[in-house]
Amino acid sequence: MLIYDIWFLFIYMFFLGNLIFVSKNKHLFVVLLSLEFIVLSIFFFFFVLLIFIDYDMYMLMVFLVFSVCEGSLGLSILVSMIRSYGNDYFQSFSML
Amino acid sequence: MFFFILINNNSNKMFFLFIMFFSTLISISSNSWFGCWIGLEINLLSFIPLISNSKNLLSVETSLKYFLTQSLASINFLFMILIKFSLLKNFNMNNIISIMMNSSLLMKMGSAPFHFWFPNIVEGLSWMNNFMLMTWQKISPMILLSYYFNKNFLIFMIIMNLIIGSLGGLNQTSLRKLLAFSSINNLGWMIFSIMISENLWLFYFLIYSMMIFMMISLFFLMNMYFMNQLFINNMNFFIKLNLLINFLSLGGLPPFMGFMPKWIIIKFLLINKFYFLTFIFMMTSLIIIYYYIRIIYSSFMFNYFKMKWMNLLMKNNMLLINLSSFISISSMILSTFIFM
Repeated sequence: MLIYDIWFLFIYMFFLGNLIFVSKNKHLFVVLLSLEFIVLSIFFFFFVLLIFIDYDMYMLMVFLVFSVCEGSLGLSILVSMIRSYGNDYFQSFSML
Repeated sequence: MFFFILINNNSNKMFFLFIMFFSTLISISSNSWFGCWIGLEINLLSFIPLISNSKNLLSVETSLKYFLTQSLASINFLFMILIKFSLLKNFNMNNIISIMMNSSLLMKMGSAPFHFWFPNIVEGLSWMNNFMLMTWQKISPMILLSYYFNKNFLIFMIIMNLIIGSLGGLNQTSLRKLLAFSSINNLGWMIFSIMISENLWLFYFLIYSMMIFMMISLFFLMNMYFMNQLFINNMNFFIKLNLLINFLSLGGLPPFMGFMPKWIIIKFLLINKFYFLTFIFMMTSLIIIYYYIRIIYSSFMFNYFKMKWMNLLMKNNMLLINLSSFISISSMILSTFIFM
């Protein structure tokens, strides 16, 4: 059925976002971008789900608020890392 | 006398501490899984400012690693909630979705297959932040775990927790990493107690956090982070005795306070006929007690160096030491008077 084909898209997007998150990157920023990609895939999923059950989009807005908060927290940690290390390369981790 | 949590250089951190306490309450008392996710998010949002200090390289790296693992876990948790909501219409707990939800919650707690960030982060935090990480941050994932868990998966995770917690601590010289692996081991006990009853988990958790509080307050007052700092010549004998009592209590040796929750959990293990699991619980406890006794025995016998001046906080705080020793020794006996 056409409805069930769309679940594959969500799971595929989510899985790819996770894959990039756990892959070896040079920059930290790529990891944060993959996190935002996962958030985007969940946003899409949530949107389609809420349409199918004829529910208003309030829950989607609450989800968006918290995801954006988390994204901005990630960015602030990136900024604090660049302020102390000078770059956002993963190779500059020597403490832990 | 002492106000650990209030000894902060920054009063903004009190604000974040309050929000962190509140977020756990949001998470465990919500009507839907979405509310649980919101509580976990607010928890992450409020804990990161407590541990990050942008003037210190170590704490930048620590807060980065903490953020990455926790955000991945909570976003996975939300996705699994949505999959559960859309595709599963029954309440059968033995399916793959419950495994995925439990996995993301275990990653938030620092439990066994996902524990690799935990000793690193504990190494990078101060003692009070460690206390928050080891006790309060475990409450909301545990209670969420009790709402929807897969029994077979969790039993496998318990075994991994116990073995990794006990064998991982054998080669450590840093006190923080030692307590981190001990915390992973105790997570195994706590996950099993969740499977029995939430009341039993609460009992184990309260006694465990009391024991961790006594140990961490001792290390905080002595400003001790590594094991070679235990071999000081002019450390008071009662401090070392208190260390002995607290370590043995944490390991679960009988006359001390830490034996009681483990005793009750063993009783429940045997009632439910988990005989092989009981064997693993016992043997890994033995390994943990081995390396605690190794530390304390060395600390009593060897006195390598003499400090020119000792930390003055200890001399005014012997009341804490005596009180914690008294509680650790006599709790088992006094508890029989409570339930008389």
